[in-house]
Amino acid sequence: MEGSWRDEQDDRPLSVARRRFLAGVGLAAGAAAVTPGVAAADHGHDVERPRNPWGGGDRWFAGDHHIHTKYSPDAQYEVATQVANARKYGLDWMVITDHGGVAHQKFSIDQTTPDIEQARRSNRDILVYQGLEWNIPGAEHATVFLPPGRETVNILKAFEAAYDGGILSTPVAQGGKGLITRSTSADGEPYALAALRYLDAQVLAGRTEVALMFANHPARRGVDSPHELRGWRDAAPQVAVGMEGAPGHQAAGIPEAAGGRGDARGYYEASPGPDSFPGYNPTAAENPYRTYGGFDWMTAKLGGLWDSLLAEGKPWWVTATSDSHQNFGDTFVPGSQDHARTGSRGAPTDSGVRQVYGDYWPGFYSSTLVGARSKSYVDIMRGLQAGKVVAVHGRLIDGLDLRVRALSEGDNRGVSIGGRTFVRRGGDVEVTIDVTLAGGPNFNGAIPKLAKVDLIAGPVTGPAADRDTLAAPGTKLVKTFEVGARQRGRIRFTHVFRGVDGPFYLRLRGSDGNRLTSEGGPVMDVVGDADPWSDLWFHANPVFVDII
Amino acid sequence: MTQQWIRAACDPSIAGGTAAHIDAHVLSLVDGRGLAADIVCTQVDRSSTVATVAMTARLVGPPEQLDGVEITTAETGASGRCVRFPGQSGLTGVHSIAEITAASAIDEVVAVGNQVTPDILVDTRGFLRPEYQDGRLVLLVEPAAGGMVRPIEIEQPHQCCGGTH
Repeated sequence: MEGSWRDEQDDRPLSVARRRFLAGVGLAAGAAAVTPGVAAADHGHDVERPRNPWGGGDRWFAGDHHIHTKYSPDAQYEVATQVANARKYGLDWMVITDHGGVAHQKFSIDQTTPDIEQARRSNRDILVYQGLEWNIPGAEHATVFLPPGRETVNILKAFEAAYDGGILSTPVAQGGKGLITRSTSADGEPYALAALRYLDAQVLAGRTEVALMFANHPARRGVDSPHELRGWRDAAPQVAVGMEGAPGHQAAGIPEAAGGRGDARGYYEASPGPDSFPGYNPTAAENPYRTYGGFDWMTAKLGGLWDSLLAEGKPWWVTATSDSHQNFGDTFVPGSQDHARTGSRGAPTDSGVRQVYGDYWPGFYSSTLVGARSKSYVDIMRGLQAGKVVAVHGRLIDGLDLRVRALSEGDNRGVSIGGRTFVRRGGDVEVTIDVTLAGGPNFNGAIPKLAKVDLIAGPVTGPAADRDTLAAPGTKLVKTFEVGARQRGRIRFTHVFRGVDGPFYLRLRGSDGNRLTSEGGPVMDVVGDADPWSDLWFHANPVFVDII
Repeated sequence: MTQQWIRAACDPSIAGGTAAHIDAHVLSLVDGRGLAADIVCTQVDRSSTVATVAMTARLVGPPEQLDGVEITTAETGASGRCVRFPGQSGLTGVHSIAEITAASAIDEVVAVGNQVTPDILVDTRGFLRPEYQDGRLVLLVEPAAGGMVRPIEIEQPHQCCGGTH
């Protein structure tokens, strides 16, 4: 039967507990009785209430959680310049994330804070978070950020000093801790878990309302193993909530002949090294170290690593960011200050000559759309935490409203993106997709044309016995909805999963249709020949459907 | 001519460097001892928590004084990523797949994602690091600009944060 799965674990304790709970609150009287918006208080995954109930009055806010400034040794812009451009290119929220390290912890943070405060005063319609690009001990980089508060800077400083992989691996004589061999070596892995528990403890202690972590460019060097991703998620599920579905540096693959760097899209041009997970293996079939349609392989591959995480029935959200360091077409070059000794490269200077750079300004190409009740620091972070997130490139769409609900006995109100709903075994689940097509041109000057939306679904099979699992063979493309060339405005697609007999999740992706495999998936980007504007995708976060 | 395989552990610190650093180190382990080797490979040893790199090499010519290395078998030696191999020095530009397999120890050129024919051109960019797969030396390539293919490993991939982390 299309879109349904056998549940071989019918009598799992979880299912039994769920039935007991629902009986206790009088489910038979109707789902509305158990749909108050109380998800924010949840700290476990076995609470039997719909999450992200449909019709909650959320709006979409575009943002970017990965932006560098002159306080990174390999970037160059003033905070004010990044904020002004993010605002100009339509973002509602943004996170300043300079690289962690000895000089950043000692010298940069105290210079960044007043710059951010000034930028907030000058740009009242954009939220500017202070964060960090954390060197995850034993792994890649990650965004860590907090809402503004009395303890925000203190927490960031203490966190970086104790847990940044760059500091942990730097010898004591050079100002570091000298506790791990390399920033990416596996002896750092316990520090990563302790770091996330530290952030969780700051929330529990009331020092900050919320703290979030997103793994950045997760497959780029192959150093984020599947067991590390699962470990972060499980160590602090309210903090470690996702990863970049699409990395930044999307201009890096533009051909030299077109004024680009001729590198790989996303700067995804590495190959396995000593600290890479050996299961990420370039073969004739695929190369995990490359982007596919601009997205990281973990997210882009149908039935791949992301799906294997979702098939556990646990949240793990994807985003899209700019990773802006030096932006395509710009004439500015870095200042000449010594970052290692001052924590800043100093003000950039205008060379008057167009430079060959691989990034875009925040908002110019990559958007992380977040559903939130209001444009406030905590609400946006709650939206990210709840998975009300769509990752969009090049304004492929302006909005996406998803409603998933039980048509038969169960949660008839339903839930939206990132949510969790339920239906009685054997019942039907309706999916309603409202896509708002691009209402105008993107920043390349063209109105993007969405060609199709894919509905993907897979069985929820419970916690992975092998923590390095990186495939979800049961996850399939259920249906492709084609979008007519002349369609404008808002379009609606529906699908019904009939006779659902096991828990499952579903998610959506969409494409401009320009570069597709024979199965309709994204094509591996060609190194040195990847025009990001002619290969646009969006990926939306999942909805989980439980069975009662 | 005798052919003897040797193996040596590398300085643990070297595994954190770029591939170029690792390659320079393993070649110095051979050339610095005055040994003549026509094949030199790197292997990642993951038997401990922290991965390390080992070097294997095939010596050519008369037996040498071998201090600080262990003698090993061809099965153990011909494994991993190949930093030096016969025919490498003549393949620094654009060459067809047929030319590469005829003129060097590379047994096969395999492309990620699509089939290749012997006439397809490989832009070597002066850097070839094939890998042993089941005893065969295989060069993995990927589509590149201009209808060519290029090796998936390049000499200078973009280093984030200057490569320090």
